Amino acid sequence: MKKPRQRDLFPGALEMMILRTIKRQPLHGYALVQHIKRTSNDLLQIEEGSLYPALQRLLKDELVKAEWSISSTNRRVRTYKLTAKGAKHLEHEVSRFEMMLEGITRVLARGES
Amino acid sequence: MNWFKQLFSRRRLYADLSDEIQQHLEEKIEELVASGMPRKEATAAARREFGNVRLTEEDSREVWRWSGVENMIEDIRYGLRVLRKSPGFTAVAVLTLALGIGANTAIFSVVNTVLFQPLPFRNPGRLMVVWHTPPQKSFPGITKFVVSPANYLDWRDQNHVFEQMSAVGFGKFNLTGMGQPESVEGRAVSAEFFSVLGVQPVLGQGFLEEEDRPGHGNVVVLSHDFWQTHFAASKDVLGRQIKLDDKSYEVVGVAPAKFDFPFQAKLWVPLAWTEKQRAVRGNHGYIVIARLKPEIDMKKAQSEMDTISARLAQQYPVDDAGWGAVVLRLNQQMFQQVGPALLVLFGAVGFVLLIACTNVANLTLAKALGRRKEIAVRTALGASRGRILSLVLTETVLISVVGGVLALLLAHFVIEAIANFIGPQLPLAVQIGLDGWVLGFTLAISILTGLIAGLAPSWHLTRANLNESLKQGLGKTDADSSGGRARSVFVAAEVAVSLVLLIGAGLMIRTLYLLRNANSGMDARNILTVTLGISSEKYPAVAQQNGFFNQVLEQVRALPGVEFASAVDSLPLQGGSIQPVAVEGQPVVPMADQPEVPVRLISPGYLRVMRIPLKQGRDITEADNAKARPVILVSESFARRFWPNENPIGKHVKLTFLPGEASEVVGVVGDVRLNGLSVTEPVQSVYHVMAQNPQTTFMRLAVRTGIPPASLISAVTEAIHRVDADEPVVGAQTMDAVVDESIAQNRLNMILLSAFAGLALLLASIGIYGVQAYAVRQRTREVGIRVAMGAQPAEVFRLIIGQGLRLATTGIVIGLAASFGLTRLMASQLYGLSATDPWTFICVSIVLLAVALAACFIPARRATRIDPVVALRYE
Repeated sequence: MKKPRQRDLFPGALEMMILRTIKRQPLHGYALVQHIKRTSNDLLQIEEGSLYPALQRLLKDELVKAEWSISSTNRRVRTYKLTAKGAKHLEHEVSRFEMMLEGITRVLARGES
Repeated sequence: MNWFKQLFSRRRLYADLSDEIQQHLEEKIEELVASGMPRKEATAAARREFGNVRLTEEDSREVWRWSGVENMIEDIRYGLRVLRKSPGFTAVAVLTLALGIGANTAIFSVVNTVLFQPLPFRNPGRLMVVWHTPPQKSFPGITKFVVSPANYLDWRDQNHVFEQMSAVGFGKFNLTGMGQPESVEGRAVSAEFFSVLGVQPVLGQGFLEEEDRPGHGNVVVLSHDFWQTHFAASKDVLGRQIKLDDKSYEVVGVAPAKFDFPFQAKLWVPLAWTEKQRAVRGNHGYIVIARLKPEIDMKKAQSEMDTISARLAQQYPVDDAGWGAVVLRLNQQMFQQVGPALLVLFGAVGFVLLIACTNVANLTLAKALGRRKEIAVRTALGASRGRILSLVLTETVLISVVGGVLALLLAHFVIEAIANFIGPQLPLAVQIGLDGWVLGFTLAISILTGLIAGLAPSWHLTRANLNESLKQGLGKTDADSSGGRARSVFVAAEVAVSLVLLIGAGLMIRTLYLLRNANSGMDARNILTVTLGISSEKYPAVAQQNGFFNQVLEQVRALPGVEFASAVDSLPLQGGSIQPVAVEGQPVVPMADQPEVPVRLISPGYLRVMRIPLKQGRDITEADNAKARPVILVSESFARRFWPNENPIGKHVKLTFLPGEASEVVGVVGDVRLNGLSVTEPVQSVYHVMAQNPQTTFMRLAVRTGIPPASLISAVTEAIHRVDADEPVVGAQTMDAVVDESIAQNRLNMILLSAFAGLALLLASIGIYGVQAYAVRQRTREVGIRVAMGAQPAEVFRLIIGQGLRLATTGIVIGLAASFGLTRLMASQLYGLSATDPWTFICVSIVLLAVALAACFIPARRATRIDPVVALRYE
C-alpha cells in the first residue's frame, strides 16, 4: 500500500506549485498533475490523488476558483483559475520560498568549505 | 465564503469533487488505452497511480468541515447505535456507573454545602470565634472553652483588632399564652449580634445598644420560621407582645428566612446583663463571635488576645490565672463535628466510583475484543489511531453521561436522607441539594469516568496487530491473552479496593457495636425522661421551685407502671455543668487553679432510677434537705484521684460556685459516662442535692418504669399538668433513645459506609463474574479438548475456580496492604479498637474471598457442562 500522503514535499509546496502552474494558464486537475510531473522532469513523484485535498484547501481560502467547462479533447473538466488573492498569495509564498532556499543554500555551502 | 454558506453549499461541493475525481480517472484510463494498454489493465494502473480514491475524497472533504466537532457528532451517533444494539451491556454499564456517580454526587453535595459553601453572612471569612483556653491543670485535654461575661466585656473594650464582638448565650424559653405551652430554643445575644454577622432582619431591626441593658431587654427578634408558624407571617407583628418564661417581650424584628444561627434558634433576646451578672468572671457560659478589622490578620488578632489575657490573668488571678484565648475562623468551627466523617465518606464513594469505572472498562474491553475485526477493517481503510481512540472513548463517555443523569435521580433521594439527618447537627440551616456546583461536578466526573473507563480498552485496541486481527476468525480464540491479562489486573484491583472499603465499614460496624454495648455505668433500659423548666418569675423562691419539682415527682411516682422517679440537671452522655471544686486534703488555691469536675444536681432516688451502683457509704435521702448539713456523693475515680489511700467518707468538698459551707462526702458511686459513650476515661464527678441548691429552674425528670417507657408519656404529661397547667412538657424520650442519639453520628457514618462498601462488593462481584464468564467462553475450545482427553468435570471446575481464586487472593493481599495505610485516616471515628484491628481484617478478607468464589461458581459450573463435540465446532 502506498503512503496516503506525499511526504517528500514541505508543507505548502504543492499548493505553491499549483498556484504557479495555473497562473500561467487555467487547468483542470488531470492536466495539472501531468504538467507538474512533466516540468519537474519526473523528479517530483506526486501521487495524483493528493492534489485534490490541496485544491480544496485553495478553493476554501478563495485563492483559486473552479468552473466546469469542456476541454479541447471534448471532455467535461473542472478548470481552476487563479484569483487576485491567489496571485498575491503566490507572490508572497514564492519570495518566502526563495529566501528560505537562499538560507539553506548558504548553510550547505558553508558546510562544504 | 462564510461558514454559513459553506454549510449549505457543501453537498454541491462534494458532488463536484466526486465528479471531478471520476473525470480524472477516466481521462487517465483513456490516455493509457490510447497508448495501447488493454482497458482492464489501464483501469488498474490508473487507480494505482491515483492512490486511495475514498481516502482522497475524504481528505478533500475534510477541508470543508469543522472536523473535530463533526467527527465527534458522527462518533456519538455511531456510539448510540452500537449501544442500542447491545441493550444488556448498555444497561449493566449505565447502572453500574449511575450507582458509582450517584453516590459521589450525593456525598459531594453534602460536602459542598457543608464544607465549601461560604456562610450566609457578610464577608464570612472575616468572622471569628474567640474561645477561652482553660488551664490544663484543671481541664486536661480541653483546648476550647466558653467565655465568662466579665472577660467578654474586657475583651470587647480592650481589643483594637476586632470591629465588633458579640456574646451569645444558649437557653430555652417557656412560651405561654399562645395555645399549648411550649419550650422554644432562644439565644440571648449582645446588641452587636446581628451587625457582627452582617444579617439584616427582614422586618424591624436588630437590638439597640440601650436594649442590651437590664430593665430594657424585654424585646425579641423572631426567626422567620417562628414568625410564620406563630404569627402566620403577619406584617404587623412588630410591637406585639409574647410571653417567654412569664415575662412579656415586644417583637422588634423578624430575621431573614433560613437564619437560625446558632443551632436552630427560634428567637433572640438581648443579654441585658445586670451589674451583678456583668461582674461574673469565673463562670463561663457564652460563645463569642467577632469580626476582624479589615487590615488585621488572624495572627495579629491572636497576639492581641494573648496580651489582653495575660493582663487579665494578672489583674484577676483568682478567676483568670491560666485562662488564655484562642481566635479561630467561624467557618472552620461550624462544621468541624461532621467534617472528618464526611471526608472519610467522600473517600469511600471515590473508591466505589473507581470500582464502577473498572467494571465498565472491563465490559468495554470484553466487548471491544469482539470488535477487533471491525476496528482492523476501519484501520485498513485508513482510520487513524486517534479516530479509533475517539470512537471507543465516545462510547464509554456516552454510557457514563447517561449514567450521570440517572445518578442525579438516585442522588436526590440519598441527599434528602442525609440532609434530614445531619441538619440538626449543624450550627445553622443549610440548603443541601442539587445546585449548579453539584450538577457541574456530576457532569465533570461523568465525562472523566467515561474517559478513564474507555482509556484502557481503546489503548488496547489501537495497539492490536492489524494483520493478526484480520486473519483471526471471530477473534475468540486464545490469542486474546493480553486482553485477558488486562482484565485480570482490573479484577484484582477491584477486589483490593472493595476490601479497603469493606474493612472501613467493618471497623465502623464494630465501633458501633462496641459503643452500644459499652458499659456506661448506668442501666438505660426502661427509663423515660422529660425536660422540666420553670421560670424564676413564677417561682421566685427556692422553696417554691423545689416544691414544684417535688410535687411533680410525687405525682409521677404514683402512676401505675412507674417504679420510681427522680430528677437530674443533665442526663448521662449529654455533658453538662463543669465546676471548680475545693477538695479537702488538697492545698488551698485560687479558683483558677482549682480542679474542674462535672457536677450534677440530683434528687433522692436518682441512683436507684439510673441503677448507678453505690460503692461505699450511703445514698442521699429526703432527710438531706435545706436545713440539714450539705452532703455530696463522689464517683469512684474522683475518690481515687483525691484520696487515693484514704477513706473518702466524711471528707469534704466545697463547690466553689455555691455559697455556704463545704459538703460532706456521704457516699461513693460508680463512674458514669457523662460526656458520651465514646469518652472512655473515667469521669471524676460529684453529685449534690437539689434540696440544698440555692436555685433550681431546670431539671430532667427520669422515670424508671416496669412497662415500656414510651407508653407512659401521656400519663407523665398529665401528671405534670396537674401540678402546673402552663408547664411545657418537652424532650420526652426514653433513655435508650438518649443513648442512641449520642451515637447517632457514628451510626449514620456506619450505615453510609456500609452501604457504599456493600455497593463496592456488589460491583466487584459482578466484575469477577463477568471476567470469569468471559474467560470460560474464551476457553471453551481448550476445555472441550481437555474433556475430550478425559478431564473430569471436577478438574474443569477446579481449573476455573482456581483462576478466580488467584485473582481474588492477589486483590486481597494488595487490599490488606492498602488498608493498613488507609484506615489510619479514620482512627478518630473509631472507638474501642485499633484502626488495624486484626479481627476485622481477617473476617472481612474471608467474606470477600467467599463472595469472589461465589461469583466464580456459575461460570465454573458452566465450564463443566461444556460438550466437547460442540466446543470443538465452536468458532
